[in-house]
Amino acid sequence: MPIHEKSLIRPENLKVQENIELEGIDVSGHWSTFIESRVVTDYNEAMEEEIAALPGGEFIHRCWQCGSCTNSCTVNAINADFNPRYWIYLIRTGMESELLRDKDIIWQCVSCNKCTYACPRDVVPEGVMKATAHWLELKGHTPKSHSTIFDEIFSEQVIETGKIEDGRTIRRYFKQTGQALRQPWLEEMVKRLLRNLPIGMLTRMGLANFITPKTAGWSGARDAIKEYVSEQEAHHRKVLGLDDLVKAAENEL
Amino acid sequence: MSKPILIVGGGPAGLAAAHSLATFGQACILVEKEDRLGGAPILEGYAKLVPSGEWARDAIGGMVDRAAGHELVDVKTETTVTSFTGEMGDFTAVLSNGDSVDVSAAILCTGFTHFDSANKPEWGFGTYPDVVTTTQVEQMISSGNGVRCLSDGRKPKRVAILLCVGSRDRQIGREWCSKICCTVSANMAMEIREELPDCHVYIYYMDIRTFGLYETKYYWKSQEEFKVKYIKARIAEVTSDGEKLIVKGEDTLVKRPITIPFDMVVHAIGMDPNVDNPQLSEVFGVDLEPHGYVDKANSYSASGLTNKNGVFVAGSATGPETIDDSIAQGKAAAMAVLEQRQLSARLVG
Repeated sequence: MPIHEKSLIRPENLKVQENIELEGIDVSGHWSTFIESRVVTDYNEAMEEEIAALPGGEFIHRCWQCGSCTNSCTVNAINADFNPRYWIYLIRTGMESELLRDKDIIWQCVSCNKCTYACPRDVVPEGVMKATAHWLELKGHTPKSHSTIFDEIFSEQVIETGKIEDGRTIRRYFKQTGQALRQPWLEEMVKRLLRNLPIGMLTRMGLANFITPKTAGWSGARDAIKEYVSEQEAHHRKVLGLDDLVKAAENEL
Repeated sequence: MSKPILIVGGGPAGLAAAHSLATFGQACILVEKEDRLGGAPILEGYAKLVPSGEWARDAIGGMVDRAAGHELVDVKTETTVTSFTGEMGDFTAVLSNGDSVDVSAAILCTGFTHFDSANKPEWGFGTYPDVVTTTQVEQMISSGNGVRCLSDGRKPKRVAILLCVGSRDRQIGREWCSKICCTVSANMAMEIREELPDCHVYIYYMDIRTFGLYETKYYWKSQEEFKVKYIKARIAEVTSDGEKLIVKGEDTLVKRPITIPFDMVVHAIGMDPNVDNPQLSEVFGVDLEPHGYVDKANSYSASGLTNKNGVFVAGSATGPETIDDSIAQGKAAAMAVLEQRQLSARLVG
């Protein structure tokens, strides 16, 4: 295809007429290729506020697009499409459809925080990446990531009991993410635990799978944490307009 | 006491020079072509000044009262200078009212002329009533009426400020940076957000030149506290779909064309050389530099010197200048006049 800078062109913007004749000349196929320009026709002004409302996104409005985050980025070194500077810009200007094109790679941030230390204006790009991935999930653009599922299982257990029981966490995590419980590495780990741990500790670990131990006097802390979490969730739902989204979806059904 | 000093122009530089000279017992004649003193901040109805945040009518009005109220300052409004002859220490100026006055030196504080946006018709000024200049928005704010669309008086929901209108543009023969528009625009964007919190303000820029300490107080503050959005794009044209203004350009950071609807578009107009500079050059015998401003000699030995001995220059007559620096230059030129008088007195004595 005789087009330069192909990387700048999105395939859906290439228009090719299979059969077309202009003034008696057959210009079918590649001869009739047209590129539709990708024009931004409006800004979604709510977008920046929505992401800023999520933990980590608070300082996104400080960005002046110097690119320090992107050029210090661990993931960008491997995948040039991973560009925090660009995404921050899309969010700030409200170019939602453009951001959604990259929804399947935004979660890949490894939280190395090199950007956090490079940023001259304390935007905390790592936090923004986290908030953006969170936003994509809350808005239903991406399914819950494995790490979100793990976080939920983990924190639910801690909040409920004040303790964490590894066996239960792993079983629920594997189940919810559709993974087999019998993983070679896990079997090997259990074998070695059985071989090397003192019998008293093994007994306690085993029992913990059947009874649910709780931290003494935990209920006060549990209630406080639950109240805070539900406040935060209600705030996020409100700023992101999630209840309206749900209503709209119900109306469509 | 020696002959009076002629000060041409009653803006910040001229007022500062007059007050300084009078304070040192030197009589001066302050000639102003308009009917009032104060220069652009008063005549054009500026709102709050950068960086003090004081209202122009209070800050510059105070300077007017102080200079005009001094017994050694002879103010002549609606007056220009038609001829200026003689040499350092012994000039004769003929004024437009026919008077002839003997003066020992002159300080040109003749200022600038705002760029006329009609010279960039592609940006819609003069075609659409909701395309306005920074000066007009200043007037909306200083009048107390608030920022409103001129077409129907509604409060704008989305405002675009276009930087470098009449600056840094070889197409219209204006290569200079007007120096203050970035800062003024950032300040104006904050004022709009303060008055109309639901109104989103976008600034379209090529570079942001909020120099020195203005960086924190204007550029950073407008982003961090007022959520003003900066888009790196030089706008191609401003049109209308019948309801909204349509701003077209390229968002250079995403390599994407944009056609965004706006309620109001503000031109951050630059500072042109005073339209009277060719006549001033002829009357006073001072050279103009290539852009058309009064050419200023280097200031290592004395401030505000021109090519003509005895004719000094200060403020935005010499190029785009801030109010604060114009005032400083006015005072510096006054000091240069006194220095020269002292030096020649010693030589004579």
